[in-house]
Amino acid sequence: MLRLDGVWKSYRVRGRDKEVLRGVDATVRKGDAIGILGRNGAGKSTLMRLIAGVEHPNAGRIHREMSISWPLGYGGALHSNLSGADNVRFVARIYGRPVDWTLGFCEEFAELGEHMRMPVRTYSSGMQSRLALALSLAVDFDCYLVDEMVAAGDARFAGRGREELMARRGRAALILVSHSEELVRNFCTSAAVLQDGKLHFHEDLDQAFAAYRAL
Amino acid sequence: MRPGPILPEPSLSRSLRVQFNVLGALIMREMHARFGRENLGYVWLFVEPMILAGCVATLHHIAGHGLPGGLAPFPFYVLSYTPYYLLRSIVTRASTALEANAPLFYHARVRLHDVLMARTILECAAVLVALSIFLTGVGIVTGNWPRDPLGIAMGLVLMALLMHGIALLVASLGVLGAHNVDRIVHPATYLSLPASGAFFMVWWFPAEMQQMILWIPTVHIYEFVRHSYYGDVVPFHYDLLYLGAWILVTNTLGLVALRAARPHLET
Repeated sequence: MLRLDGVWKSYRVRGRDKEVLRGVDATVRKGDAIGILGRNGAGKSTLMRLIAGVEHPNAGRIHREMSISWPLGYGGALHSNLSGADNVRFVARIYGRPVDWTLGFCEEFAELGEHMRMPVRTYSSGMQSRLALALSLAVDFDCYLVDEMVAAGDARFAGRGREELMARRGRAALILVSHSEELVRNFCTSAAVLQDGKLHFHEDLDQAFAAYRAL
Repeated sequence: MRPGPILPEPSLSRSLRVQFNVLGALIMREMHARFGRENLGYVWLFVEPMILAGCVATLHHIAGHGLPGGLAPFPFYVLSYTPYYLLRSIVTRASTALEANAPLFYHARVRLHDVLMARTILECAAVLVALSIFLTGVGIVTGNWPRDPLGIAMGLVLMALLMHGIALLVASLGVLGAHNVDRIVHPATYLSLPASGAFFMVWWFPAEMQQMILWIPTVHIYEFVRHSYYGDVVPFHYDLLYLGAWILVTNTLGLVALRAARPHLET
């Protein structure tokens, strides 16, 4: 289970505190697939980073009782001076996964071939997101954070990533951040709207979309 | 075969294992990133402090400065410079350690403190290996062997622990918006060299000055390390309890500061 308890986050912009999140409460259980809708700048990415533990809230608490992926769709999780293979080894060691198995899985899934031995800074953004997705699937998290789509990369690969994530929905939770209704409808069973720094949950997808459109 | 799912960490033994995995992974990664896999690779980790300490010691040896009490000068300067190298490498890298490693914090298991700990362990291990090679060389060439090698190693570990506490404070200040902390840390580490006790011994000074000098924590480390090397040939002054108190206080304050800095780290 993942629980957010009155989470606040502000950033200092030109000497003034800008509040992005003002008391977000949420509970996510295994098997949930939640879409988070919000306009640009509503704080969707900030929320993902806090859930992942990349950044920390100014107030409130995040209780993580399951393993949570980093936000997928950013290259941020990879170290640009290390080769793809060294990145895989590093992440496998962090999560106590068998290194050779993880490497094999990523080589097969990300289809990077020779590039696995090259530094990540030489990768295209599509290659980076393929590797990041492969790596997160290899680790096998309880909860996946997916930012705006793993659609970077070619269409065929996006389809495969989508399939793999869909296949895990039963045993893993999924949190998808997007401003596309279609994506949320394809992936999620419930949705919430992030507005004015607060998260409003709707059990029914149509209700959530109506609220989102009314913004 | 696909390995089983990873579980969250409810028990102490599991969280210890996670900590162990994370530290091991960070140390390996730091070594890959800093030294690469090609050329001499990891060898540089040991060669760098050896070259510097070796040059300083040789210069003093050639200049022929005799030391009070007839202590052998070459090991004296090696034991001056290697702990200082440790001091400098742990503290100066701390100011940028957190921001430079932002990608690491995409993994919820990696805590700020893990990154700094991995660096301290790596630096300490490198200096220990370099010093062992050195002192073995000195022993073979001159026939002077350390009286208590374990004491020397312990002195370096104490230096690493003390500097780790200071590094925690420096790293936290860097995150808390004091971006020019870097500009102060670099000159400060150089200026600290004459005061640190690297090039003098406490018994060279009159009694009332000794009391003042002994307020400086690193002086105790140098005295302890030299005592372990030379044995009871000249008077040594140190108090490991006083040093321990410094280590405890700096590390506690450092951890508190790091906690305060955490929400301000922008990635």
